[in-house]
Amino acid sequence: MEKVECIVVGGGLAGLSAAYGLADAGVEVMVLERGDYSGAKNVTGGRLYASPIRSFYPELWEEAPFERAVARELVTMLGDGAQTTIEVASDRFTADPPQSYTVLRARFDQWLAEKVGEKGGMVVPNMKVDALLREEGRIIGIRAGEDEIGADVVIVAEGVLRLLSSEAGLAAEPVDRDHALGFKEVIELPPGVIEDRWHLNPGEGAAQLFLGNVTDGMLGGGFLYTNKESISLGVVVGMKAMRERAEKAKPQDASESYQLLDRFKALPQIRPLVAGGTVAEYSAHAIPEGGIAAVPKLAGDGYLMAGDAAGLALNALITVRGMDFAIASGYYAAEAVKAAKARADFSAAGLAGYEASLRGSFVLKDLQTASQIPAFMENPRLFTHYPRAVSRLLEQIYTVGPGPTPGLFKTAWGGIRRDFMNTGTVKDAWSARRI
Amino acid sequence: MDIVVCVKTNPDLQMVRVKNREAVVEAVPYKLGDLDKNALETAIQLRDAAGGTITAVSVAEGNRKIRETIKEALAMGADSAAVVDDPALAGADPAAVAAVLAAAVKKLPGCDLVLFGEGSTDNYSGQVGPRVAELLGVPQVGFARKVEAVDGAVRCERSMDEMIETLEVALPAAVTVVSEINEPRIPSLMHIMKAKSKPVEEWTLADLGVDAGAVAARREIVSNLAEEQDRKHVLFEGSAAEQADAFVNALIKEGVLGR
Ligand SMILES: Cc1cc2nc3c(=O)[nH]c(=O)nc-3n(C[C@H](O)[C@H](O)[C@H](O)COP(=O)(O)OP(=O)(O)OC[C@H]3O[C@@H](n4cnc5c(N)ncnc54)[C@H](O)[C@@H]3O)c2cc1C
Repeated sequence: MEKVECIVVGGGLAGLSAAYGLADAGVEVMVLERGDYSGAKNVTGGRLYASPIRSFYPELWEEAPFERAVARELVTMLGDGAQTTIEVASDRFTADPPQSYTVLRARFDQWLAEKVGEKGGMVVPNMKVDALLREEGRIIGIRAGEDEIGADVVIVAEGVLRLLSSEAGLAAEPVDRDHALGFKEVIELPPGVIEDRWHLNPGEGAAQLFLGNVTDGMLGGGFLYTNKESISLGVVVGMKAMRERAEKAKPQDASESYQLLDRFKALPQIRPLVAGGTVAEYSAHAIPEGGIAAVPKLAGDGYLMAGDAAGLALNALITVRGMDFAIASGYYAAEAVKAAKARADFSAAGLAGYEASLRGSFVLKDLQTASQIPAFMENPRLFTHYPRAVSRLLEQIYTVGPGPTPGLFKTAWGGIRRDFMNTGTVKDAWSARRI
Repeated sequence: MDIVVCVKTNPDLQMVRVKNREAVVEAVPYKLGDLDKNALETAIQLRDAAGGTITAVSVAEGNRKIRETIKEALAMGADSAAVVDDPALAGADPAAVAAVLAAAVKKLPGCDLVLFGEGSTDNYSGQVGPRVAELLGVPQVGFARKVEAVDGAVRCERSMDEMIETLEVALPAAVTVVSEINEPRIPSLMHIMKAKSKPVEEWTLADLGVDAGAVAARREIVSNLAEEQDRKHVLFEGSAAEQADAFVNALIKEGVLGR
C-alpha cells in the first residue's frame, strides 16, 4: 500500500487549516476533497470571528479574502405586523484589527487551499473518500475508488454528516436533535446599495439576525450578512422541531422546509432589504447544534476529528460560530500531529495532546460555557411569544390613537404585566440564568 | 513515438457567470481545458499502443495557475512536463503563444507528433495548433476524430459534413483533435500521487531564446461580451391544455420543434 504521513479527509476550513500547519512544518500531507474545488460544497451563514483565531497563522489573515469587516450588529424581532430591531454599532468592532468579517466560502476556501499548496501540501479536489481503513482498532488509511492509501494519521474533517467516521465506528451517527438545517441564498446587490441600506461606511459590513415570525414557531431564525457585492440571506431551523412538525401536520398543511426561505423573503419586513437583488446562489446544509454533549471522542489510534465532523460549532442565539472553531481545531490537530511525529507515536496516547489543547482553548471552553444553550433553545416561546411581545409592547408605546393616550408608564406597565409577568416568563428567565 | 501535447489552463466555464453581459471570473477555479484532455487522452492511447513518451507543455498567459493544471496533465498520464512562464507573456495573444510553444517543442529532445485540442475551452480561437505547425514547418491535420499510428506516420479521420476523410501524414506532424475522439480518463488518487514525482521543466523566454518583443500582443480585444438575446415575451393563456397546445404550436412555428 502506498503511504503518506498524513491524510486529511475533507478540504473545508478544518481540513485546510490542519493541512496548512502541517505543510508549513514539512509534514507530508494530502487533503482529499470530494467537491470540484475547496469551497464548492461548503455552506456557511456568513461571518467568521477572526479574533479567536488571529494568533494562529497570523500571516494568513493579513491577506485573506474577507468580504466586509462587521461594523453593525442587528437583531430583529418579528412580531405580527410589528417588528423591533436592536442595532449596535461600535468603533471597537472594526478597530484595527476587526473582530469579525463576512465571508463567501467559494472564494475563501479556494484561497486557503492555494495557501496549503504554496506550503507544499497537496490538495486533491474531485476525490471522494469512500472509507476509512481500520485494522485492529487503528485507522491506517483511506480508500478512494480502487485505491487504498495508508497514512500514519488521518485527520477526519469531513463535515457535519460524518458518514465515514460513523461508518468506521469513530463517532455515533448524527441525530436530528443535535442539528439544524440552514437554507441560504446569495443575492447580488451593488456595493452602494448595500452601504445605503445598512448605513455602512464603504467596506464595512452588517450582520442581522431575525427571530420570531421566521420559522413558524420552530426552533430557528433568519440571518443576513452583507458581503462586498451581495448579501447572504438564510433561514435556520432545528431538525427535530422540523421532523415533529412534519409528523403532526395534516397532509394539506404540510409545507416543505425549503419554502421557509421563500416565505421569509416575502415578508414585508424583508422585501425592501432584498429589493432589486439577483439570486446568484442557493444552498442548504446541516449545522451541528448539539453543543458539548454531542462532541464525539476527538482522537484515537491513528486519527483525529476536527471541525463540524467533531460537532465543534456553537449557536448561542446571538453569536453563531463554527468556522473559527473549525480553523482552531485544524490548527490544534496539526500541532498534535507534529508532536506525535516527533515521538513517532501516532497512537491515541501519542495524539492525546489534541484534546488537551482543545480543552485549554476557547473551543471546548466556550462550548462548555454554552452547555445549557441547546436545551434552553428548545423552548418554542423564544421563537414565538417573546419577539411578538417585545414588538407589541414597543408598538403600543409609540401609538397615538384618535382618543386620549394613556401615560407612558401605564402603557409600558400594562404591556409588561400582560406579556412578561407570568409563570412562563419566570420559568424562562430562571432557565436562562445558566446560558 | 515521442508526443508533445500542448495544454492550456481555463476558467471552469460551469462556474463563470455573466453579469452585465461580462463574464465574472473572480473566484472561478481554473482547470485543464476540456479539448486539451481529449488531446492528452489521444496521446496516452498512442503511447500505450506503440511506446514512446508524452510531454505536456503549457505557456502561462497572464497570472493563470498553470502549475496546478500541469499536475492534472501529469496525473492523467503525461510522463513529463514543461511550463513557460515569463512576465512578458502577460498579454500574450494566440500568435505569441504559438511562437513560444514552437520554441519549446524545438528545445525538447525529440518530438514526432504535436497534439492540440481543436480550440481552447474559453476563447476558442483555434489558431494555436495551425500556427505552431507552420512555425515548426510540419504538416498539420485539423479536427481529427480518430488518430492511429502507422509506420512512420499517423492516420487521421475527420468528418466533413457529408463524408469522412481519412488522411495519412508522415511524422513529424501536428494534429488537432475534436471532443468526439475519446472520453478522457479521470486520474485515480494513485496516479495523482505519482504525478508529484514526475519531472517538470520551468522555462523563461530567455531559456527558449525568444525575444520579449516577439511576444508583444499584436491583437487587442476591443470588447468581449455575452450575446444579447431578444426575448419574445409571449404569454399563453387559457387552460393548462390550451396553453400547452399554443406553446407547442409556437415552438413548431419557430422551427424549434418538429423540423
Ligand atoms: C446555514 C449555515 C450558517 C452558518 N453560519 C455560520 C456563521 O455565520 N459563522 C460561523 O462561524 N459558522 C457558521 N456556520 C457553521 C460553519 O459553516 C461550519 O461550522 C464550518 O463550515 C465547518 O467547517 P468544516 O471544515 O468542519 O466542514 P465543511 O466546511 O463542511 O467541510 C467538510 C468538507 O469535507 C468534504 N467531504 C465530506 N465527505 C467527504 C468524503 N467522503 N471525501 C472527501 N471529502 C469529503 C466536503 O465536501 C467539505 O468540503 C453556519 C453553517 C450553516 C450551514
